[in-house]
Amino acid sequence: MTANRTDLTLLRRGAAVLLTAALVTGCSSAVADQRNGGFSSGGGEQILHIGSTNDIVPGTVFTNSSDTTNTLIGSVYDSLVDYPLDSLDAQPSLATSWDVAKDGTSITLDLRDDVSFHSGREFTSKDVEFSIRTWADPVWTVQLQRTAAAVTDFDTSDPHRITLGFDHPLSNILDLLDMVPIIDSESFDQLKTGEAYVGTGPFVFESWTPNAKVELSANEDYWGGAPGVDGIEVSVISDPQAQVSALRSGQVDLVTGASNRDLATLAEDDKYTVSQSDYGQQVYVGADLANPALKDVRLRQAVAYSLDRERILDEVYQGAGVTTSIPWAETSPAYDEELAHHYDLDAAKAKSLLAEVGDVGTLPLSYPAGNANYEATAQIVQANLEATGIRTELKPVEFTQFIKQLIAGEFGGLWILQHSYAQYTPSTLAVSAYPFNADKNASHFVDDDYKAHADGAWTRASGVDEGAVKLYGELNKDLIDNAFLLEIAILKGQVATSDKVGGEFTWSKRGELQLDDVTLGG
Amino acid sequence: MSAEIIIPGELDDSLDPTQHDVRPQRRRALTQGRGLVGLVLVGIVVVLGFAAPLLAPYSPNEQIPGANLLGPSSTHWLGTDEVNRDVFSRMVHGIRVDLLVVFLAVPLGAILGSLVGLVTSWWRITDVLTQRVFDVILAFPSLILAIALSAFLGPGLWTVVIVIVAAELPVFGRLVRTSLRTVREMPFVEAAEVVGAGPLWVLRRHVLPNSLEPLTIQLAVSMSVAVFIEGAMSFLGLGVRPPAASLGSLIRDGVRTMYDAPYFAVGPLLVVVALVLGLLLISQALAESRRA
Repeated sequence: MTANRTDLTLLRRGAAVLLTAALVTGCSSAVADQRNGGFSSGGGEQILHIGSTNDIVPGTVFTNSSDTTNTLIGSVYDSLVDYPLDSLDAQPSLATSWDVAKDGTSITLDLRDDVSFHSGREFTSKDVEFSIRTWADPVWTVQLQRTAAAVTDFDTSDPHRITLGFDHPLSNILDLLDMVPIIDSESFDQLKTGEAYVGTGPFVFESWTPNAKVELSANEDYWGGAPGVDGIEVSVISDPQAQVSALRSGQVDLVTGASNRDLATLAEDDKYTVSQSDYGQQVYVGADLANPALKDVRLRQAVAYSLDRERILDEVYQGAGVTTSIPWAETSPAYDEELAHHYDLDAAKAKSLLAEVGDVGTLPLSYPAGNANYEATAQIVQANLEATGIRTELKPVEFTQFIKQLIAGEFGGLWILQHSYAQYTPSTLAVSAYPFNADKNASHFVDDDYKAHADGAWTRASGVDEGAVKLYGELNKDLIDNAFLLEIAILKGQVATSDKVGGEFTWSKRGELQLDDVTLGG
Repeated sequence: MSAEIIIPGELDDSLDPTQHDVRPQRRRALTQGRGLVGLVLVGIVVVLGFAAPLLAPYSPNEQIPGANLLGPSSTHWLGTDEVNRDVFSRMVHGIRVDLLVVFLAVPLGAILGSLVGLVTSWWRITDVLTQRVFDVILAFPSLILAIALSAFLGPGLWTVVIVIVAAELPVFGRLVRTSLRTVREMPFVEAAEVVGAGPLWVLRRHVLPNSLEPLTIQLAVSMSVAVFIEGAMSFLGLGVRPPAASLGSLIRDGVRTMYDAPYFAVGPLLVVVALVLGLLLISQALAESRRA
């Protein structure tokens, strides 16, 4: 009887294999269907299929923390101004012109009068007020919340002109206006639940299927001209390797999350194009001072001197970026060539600092799970620290949970992640970004000088004059001396596309893909 | 003629017609045909695992300067991985993790499952309750169970062990229960009870010995399943934490470099195939010997 049971078990296993084969065959058919036009390309429609790593989380849709969210926000919404990638010279978008008061405490913007939301309602100055007030609401945990909250007066008497009054001069007001998407107040309740995202952008939100896909259609009446494709379908493919497979099999036309190694391989193939932005994100090691050992700045500096940045950049990121010890790119007014190499690998100095500190036990080293780049970086960092004599335990954490830990400051040790915001006015980073915010940051680093320098740079009329640059020098000194956030490299943003994708392809300063001029051919 | 009173301790085992010496058949099954092939395959893997410190030219976590994603060579038999580690050294050390899982977690699950099945099945109320709990556990495929438990426990080797124990416990519990229900109806058990044998005595003397054979076969099947579970969990990032190596994590690493270095996954894959196939062949041979 038991023998029969074993036979049955084996039979079941055989059946499972057959079932799997049948499923694979079924999937193959589905792939073939999709390659031959697929469900969403019927009727000759040109749908751009994107493979994206992380799904939308409605509660954190404005936190700039997921590639799918970035594509959604960048495609569905417009902002008042747009920065070019390589400068802080704001360009008109929904605002056609603006005038900042000499004392820096207000700004008057003229707004386009030919813009409507996707619902058909006209865009007015009231929508600007609503959008900025939404960003000022702490419930959305946006990184520029402090700046938005400093906008306290709204003159919306003219529907196509608005004057914003501030509590104090805001050197980064144009950063805020570049980042805040103009939101439709009438559909805001649906936005909270992920049911509707209504903006004025080149694409119209159609649907979101959690953990599966987001569908957008072209806004034919877009004030900037109709997009080059009929729609976008963003498929959530959490495994970067699976994204590459989807690109190779023709299921998607563009992938946002491929590892740098896969991107390098794809770049060698004529059938694919790897597009780069010179101004991507910064990969870093954060140090949580809530861990008693990491309270000692000498240990943090020892960690900084232990990092083999060149190796990480070359082997993990295939050389797509530059190593650095400070957050800023060369185009930033806060860039300092000497400080950018301050923490270049120096094993002797690291060991000397650690010898002063003594035994520090084992430090947790967290990183987002399931990402080959982060996993390789974490293992190299672990080996670097081991060589110095600092023991670490790797802790892979699911990405959404990781972002929650970042916002709440719950790492309890070291962590590895990428940050943005250094591409803006330097004060934006120091008063806004979760890892840097002088008021409250993920490292639990509190310092009067740092806060004074950050606030000083922030509460100025200009973010680029001589006085501001002097304050950025002080900020740099704070960042280097206190070593609570240890930069590794400034990486290039990269996506891979199939040879079907044509037209102009770029990124916004916010890191969002700009897809309105993309076309599909081939 | 005077009646002889037999006390339980002196019951003659020959009264139990289901008990017979199966050792010669089992030995024969494992020394010829598929049983022998299975034993050899498993034996090779076990030897590789135990001899890892002697066979591995490098420490499994040693990052060799400049050796980034090198192909197979006389220096690195299976090449190096994306963080410059020797893949062969990691593979033989990774086998140890799988052997730990196979030879610790599965027997633990088997012992616990058998004990629970044995004890609770004797009384109706505990039997019903236990079977419903088993139903709940069995309703979840092992991988879903693994994901659910990992959410609470976090990824790691001991999570893998706990998942396998939890997955195997009801399998063995059910198996022992089936034997118990069969043996319990036998006249010799009734006879034993008539002369005062208690439940524990019957369980130990008749039910357990009668369950051993199917349990042994199930053990081999479960061990092969455990290799799959470890592989799947590590592949999904729920198994051993980096930088520790296991066969599953090595296959995952190999898949990541599938397009530009497809050979990295070959070694660990072959070992998994050998281990799973070997254990399945052993289980088949044992099952056949029992039928014979």
